[in-house]
Amino acid sequence: MSKTIATDVPDIQQRIDPITLEVIRCGVVSITNQIDANITRTAFSSYVYEYKDFAVGLVDVNGQLVAQSTGGMPPFVADAVGTAVRDGLRIYGRERLFDGDVVVCNHPAVQGQHLNNTVMYTPIYGGPARSTLLGFFALNVHWIDIGGVMHGSTDIFMEGLQLRTIKLWSKGEPVEEIYRIIENNTRMPVDVMGDISAQLAGCLLGRDLTLTLADRYGAETYFAAVETIMAQGETSSRARIREIPDGTYESEAFLDDDSLGTDPVPIHVRVAVEGEEMTIDFSGLADQVPGPVNSGYFGGGVTAARVAFKYLIAPREPANEGVFRPLKLILPEGKILSARPDAPMLNYSTPFPTVIDTVIRCLEDALPHLATGAHFGTHSGFMMHGHWADGRRFHGHDSGHGGWGAGDGHDGSGPFRTMAHGDTRLIPMELQESLLPFRVRSLSLREDSGGPGKFRGGLGFRKEYEISHPCTLNTNLDRRKCPPWGVRGGKAAEPGCITIIKASGETEIMGKARNYKLQPGDRVTLETGGGGGWGPPEERAFELIQRDLDRGYITAERAVRDYGVRIEGARVVRE
Amino acid sequence: MPYIVAVDIGGTFTDLVGFDHDTGEAIYTKSPTTYGNFVDGILDCFDKAGLAPAEANFLNHGTTLVINSLIQRRGAKCALVTSAGFRDVLEIARANRPDPFDLHYRRDEPLIPRELRFEVPERIDAHGDVLVPLDAGALEAVAEELKRLDIEAVAVFFMSSYLNPEHEEQAADILKRLLPGVYVTHSTELTREWYEYERTSTVAANAYVGPQVNTYVRRLEDEFRSRGYGGSLFMMGSNGGLLSVDRTCRQPVGLVESGPIGGCIGAGAYAEALDIQNVVAFDMGGTTAKCALVEHGRYSVESVYYVNGYVRGFPIKWPVIDIVEVGSGGGSIAWLDDQSRLHVGPQSAGAAPGPVCYQRGGTEPTVTDANLVLGRLNPDRFLGGEMSLGVESARWAIAAKTAEPLGYKGEAGLIRTADGIVSIATVLMAGAIRQVSVERGLDPRDFVLFAYGGGGPLHASALARELSIPAIVVPPEPGNFSAIGMLLADARVDASETFTGILDDALAAAMDGGFRGMEGDTADILRRDFGAADVYFERKAEMRYHGQRHNIHVPVTGLRALAEIRAAFERDYKRRYGHADSKAPTEFQALHLSAFARLRRPDIANLRRTMPAGGMPEHTRPVYFGVTEGTVETVIYDRDGLEPGFAAQGPAVIEEYGSTTLIRPGDRFQVGEMGEIRIECG
Repeated sequence: MSKTIATDVPDIQQRIDPITLEVIRCGVVSITNQIDANITRTAFSSYVYEYKDFAVGLVDVNGQLVAQSTGGMPPFVADAVGTAVRDGLRIYGRERLFDGDVVVCNHPAVQGQHLNNTVMYTPIYGGPARSTLLGFFALNVHWIDIGGVMHGSTDIFMEGLQLRTIKLWSKGEPVEEIYRIIENNTRMPVDVMGDISAQLAGCLLGRDLTLTLADRYGAETYFAAVETIMAQGETSSRARIREIPDGTYESEAFLDDDSLGTDPVPIHVRVAVEGEEMTIDFSGLADQVPGPVNSGYFGGGVTAARVAFKYLIAPREPANEGVFRPLKLILPEGKILSARPDAPMLNYSTPFPTVIDTVIRCLEDALPHLATGAHFGTHSGFMMHGHWADGRRFHGHDSGHGGWGAGDGHDGSGPFRTMAHGDTRLIPMELQESLLPFRVRSLSLREDSGGPGKFRGGLGFRKEYEISHPCTLNTNLDRRKCPPWGVRGGKAAEPGCITIIKASGETEIMGKARNYKLQPGDRVTLETGGGGGWGPPEERAFELIQRDLDRGYITAERAVRDYGVRIEGARVVRE
Repeated sequence: MPYIVAVDIGGTFTDLVGFDHDTGEAIYTKSPTTYGNFVDGILDCFDKAGLAPAEANFLNHGTTLVINSLIQRRGAKCALVTSAGFRDVLEIARANRPDPFDLHYRRDEPLIPRELRFEVPERIDAHGDVLVPLDAGALEAVAEELKRLDIEAVAVFFMSSYLNPEHEEQAADILKRLLPGVYVTHSTELTREWYEYERTSTVAANAYVGPQVNTYVRRLEDEFRSRGYGGSLFMMGSNGGLLSVDRTCRQPVGLVESGPIGGCIGAGAYAEALDIQNVVAFDMGGTTAKCALVEHGRYSVESVYYVNGYVRGFPIKWPVIDIVEVGSGGGSIAWLDDQSRLHVGPQSAGAAPGPVCYQRGGTEPTVTDANLVLGRLNPDRFLGGEMSLGVESARWAIAAKTAEPLGYKGEAGLIRTADGIVSIATVLMAGAIRQVSVERGLDPRDFVLFAYGGGGPLHASALARELSIPAIVVPPEPGNFSAIGMLLADARVDASETFTGILDDALAAAMDGGFRGMEGDTADILRRDFGAADVYFERKAEMRYHGQRHNIHVPVTGLRALAEIRAAFERDYKRRYGHADSKAPTEFQALHLSAFARLRRPDIANLRRTMPAGGMPEHTRPVYFGVTEGTVETVIYDRDGLEPGFAAQGPAVIEEYGSTTLIRPGDRFQVGEMGEIRIECG
């Protein structure tokens, strides 16, 4: 499968010595990580520090990503900050982006994600008299509330305030009118204004640190380092792609629905590998849908493709534009991931886990040692709201964490959140019980939920709630009709579901509860899906079947059915 | 006589520092760490120092036993007993994935596997009331099963026990009665804070190391008692306070960072004595560099610690000094990736085989090899001449493995590469220091760099330059400094309680009551364990604006009135966030109390080595200082020969047993009254 293609180190490397290059590289990564620590410290709302729903990036003079902080959410590594900066360059040109300007952008025609995701950036001018544009320092932060409806939007105008490339600061002075507009268009002005001041401080400090670093070596050397960093990222990706056999690989899956209607939403993906380049073809995705699960070309299609690419090709490579250069995207306008700017995008990332899973599935035979079974692949949001007896409102947002797919040599892991989430932690039950009208009866691993295989898929969990005060439930479990598949002969996992047992004894099973009214004494069980298996179940090692049985990861019944063994007492016996 | 003694067991050496209060004499020794039985290494140190256990009346001891046991998974066969429905909390953890793009990511296996986790019916609700009584019959059945399984230790965790520990205590009593000889521990004897996963994980770890620590500590005590030792024996706790033998046996997780803490205590004590407000304690050893901030003599303590790191490890809810660690030490390996990019660490050649220049089979160039090639280390005086370093082998490794593949040729290329290796290590360490300071809203430029460990004084000046830190202090005996710090430790006990509600007059009064309760309990411990008469307290309230999820720890010692507490919160908030809102209501999350008792400590001025001037006269050798300065003929001093008051200009190298201090051209240094080297960066 090896191909012979020239991969000389690009000429640019001759312009900078390798030691200076490494010191600058460590320097820029350290700056973005330092700003990451800074924003975690100073941000006001929990989205920022608990979800790490932000990203810190350094981009070059053309809006190309140079370095990004290593934490943060996967969908942000792609190109969110660069896209916004390029819109600024289109609108103002370099000549009208002045030292001391700070620009914000959350626009659906630019990023194409929900309006909460707001990029803020500032130009970095260095050199003598700060006259040379070195690049931009940018932060993408999820603003906790930007107005608009909270559920079920049908166009973007219902979703809140749109800011397309607006100067928040001009030549070092705040534009107070813009602050006033923002402050008066959010339900949570204290949090949002607090987050904005943290975001601003991060931008300015990042700018100053980059400036100091670049000035120490001079603009020429800094530019050479930036180009080399990207070129090396590109070379690294190309080398990885070269190891994949040429060919066109296809796969498909679907979402249960668009969160409003009941029709399935098809996800058809084609991946073509040719030499050192990979093309992801999203032409077979569903057209944009009425429900708010659309996203724009950059925030949707480019993002999902790049996240999948990074999982497969460059998991350890620091994100920069060069890493993604060998990736081509085919995506016509008007698809669910290239929706027109007026489409509803409130829950824009809903399709991402399934799309990423499907890209990985395309390569199950081409990259057998890397590809994993599908993961549970759905946000599994579990939202309840209502009012206490004294009229105060409560609102709880819990989430399902599910199993991940097995890979060559290991069982699936988890429960984790989806591939579109990063370091997002479960909310402690002791905290939930003190704030919300329920008691948790149990939280356990969900036996038999992992897909059988030579390596078994990871397990989902089961969480039982007992309701103590009237409330309304909304959930969004998907992938019920398209359960997490196995690869390389591995089998599918169990999908997730919600079971509601009314105090009256009546029972309902569903994936999406839509404004479901709950009463005290009702019980709700959230079961999340497992991950798909890897390799044929009949090849599974005997001691692993025994261990799974001993631990209760699988039941005796399923051991017999899935692995064709016999059980004597508590022992697994080969049939 | 009598002596007070501190012993620090490290990965390679066991260090001993003894101090005679009457004569002011200080003794230092080092002996190889004896794996299998650490007590032998301690006794070797006593022998080597010419000291008998009977001559000492106080022994403080730091050990890596707990952390090693947890990381290497060498602990006891344990079981976990939980509330019905919650045995998987330990395995599900917080269900997060800190490594965002790894399809194959997994967390370390739980310490207690699922088949050894048992459930019993019982439940406390979110108000602390009993919802389901403890089913003693079910617990007895579990005990039978544990007996059958030959379990050595049992951890008990019940939901909401932080509000009402009764069930946990009852269950622990029953298990102790039914399982004699088995180590039994429950979560609320370790922490009274909420968050079920963190509490389960903590108690599981405590059970896991319990039997081993008990055996070790009891053996240590027996060995010393049988040799006529009549003094008190203490262990170095991760919070910077001493732990009695009994407490250590009940709460062994309290030793998780027992080793590195000594240096931070020492840095705090020296900073106080030298009247320096803020220092960055910087410790560089063989595999890692560690840094911590010490403000006004106080280091900061975190309430959660991740064993084996945040990415894959598990938490222990226990006050642990806030140390940031980065994988660059003297043994860190320099390597090229497939794109010919030069990296340093985190892989380390460690103590064995060690750097190439140790000539013990190491083949990969390290930071120490680079320093040797640059002339910064003396090949004939490493560890006081106990070990000689191979310059040629270091030169070969750097040339063959890094310089030549990078296209650097000849002597100049070799030097440039060696300098590059040190520079990259410096940038990484500077990043760690920035992180520890920036995260707390502090500027490293306002701090003095306090450098110790084998490599700290060698890299301090480059680091100070990188961070614009104006001054450096190198204490006496930097290579033994952790043991010195242990000698300076006070008695300290921490307690925490979850305490929630919106701040008003009634809650301010309740806060005072809550603290008083904890003060009574902790003072009892200090009196019992240390015979301490004079106990003082520090109170901190964990607070936030109502509705936020991010808490800050506000010092509230001596504050009772609502307005005072509110003002303290706003002051701290403002320092951290740069702004505060005087209208928004604030709320409590938890109360944290630290109780201290001063112990009789040695006078720091007496801790410098009082030895005859070293045998090595002042001389010079060429040392490389970087691209701009180049190679400079540099004066080499023997630290033992430098008297307080001595001052000179850089460039200079100061050599001593276990460490080397590098003074860059343009910097000045002076030896202070306490034997410390103070460097002003030019």
